[in-house]
Amino acid sequence: MGMPRKLAAKLLRAAIRLAPPQSREWAAAMLRELDFIEGDWAALFWALGSFGAIFRHAATEWRAYFTNQENKEEQMNETGKKAIGFASGALLALVVSLSGLGLLWILAILFPGLGIDHLEWTHFLGAIVIPEIIFVVSAVLLWRKRTPVAAGILLTGIGIAIHVAVHLATH
Amino acid sequence: MKLRMSPQTVLVLDAFLEEAEDWKYGYDLSKNTGLKSGTLYPILMRMAERGLLETQWESGEPGRPPRHMYRFTPDGLRFARTNASANAGSGLGQVAMGLNVLGLVEA
Repeated sequence: MGMPRKLAAKLLRAAIRLAPPQSREWAAAMLRELDFIEGDWAALFWALGSFGAIFRHAATEWRAYFTNQENKEEQMNETGKKAIGFASGALLALVVSLSGLGLLWILAILFPGLGIDHLEWTHFLGAIVIPEIIFVVSAVLLWRKRTPVAAGILLTGIGIAIHVAVHLATH
Repeated sequence: MKLRMSPQTVLVLDAFLEEAEDWKYGYDLSKNTGLKSGTLYPILMRMAERGLLETQWESGEPGRPPRHMYRFTPDGLRFARTNASANAGSGLGQVAMGLNVLGLVEA
């Protein structure tokens, strides 16, 4: 089995793993057909086209799911909506903070020569200053249209800032 | 039961109308219509979702992976026959035929 065919099989196996349940059967069907395609490159082009088709099908399923969720959200009472908005704001803020830390960690591994591990200001900048600026800007932008989300972002940002202040004071 | 009748869809319907009772495989359909997998499968998916096509896994020989097969449902057959006759002389049918003849759609 040539390299293009191996790649084609890997691509379609990945599609089976990643696709939502409704698209999985189709991805499996496309993978089975690989055995009957003459030519390694033809198999690879078949897999690339199939992967695109599965991706578009999955996107349709996801869009339908999110539309359904939005409809459910519309049917909720005001308190429920606010709670979900607040929680999603808080979650977004946490994700941004963790991404900042993750980015620093990756940079420290990829470029050990920079000595990011030992530079305190990089931690301060990547994990606190930049995320806090993002929180404030996004909270200001979202305040009028999505107040609960903005409040979630802002309160989580304040919580993280307090945590860091206490950490700096005690260490 | 809406299905956008693009020239490619007409090609697929025509391929299914040949020996309509038989089960057909994806790669064979691709070869017969000249459509690439990225064009063919979305059409098959839409047809199956609209109840025009039934799908089944072939109960193959032991040790050999099964293949996915397709054929018209009774509704699908009716739909295809109606639309094939409507499209036969129309611009859409001509475009589909032209695509095939010119080799502009290839597997």
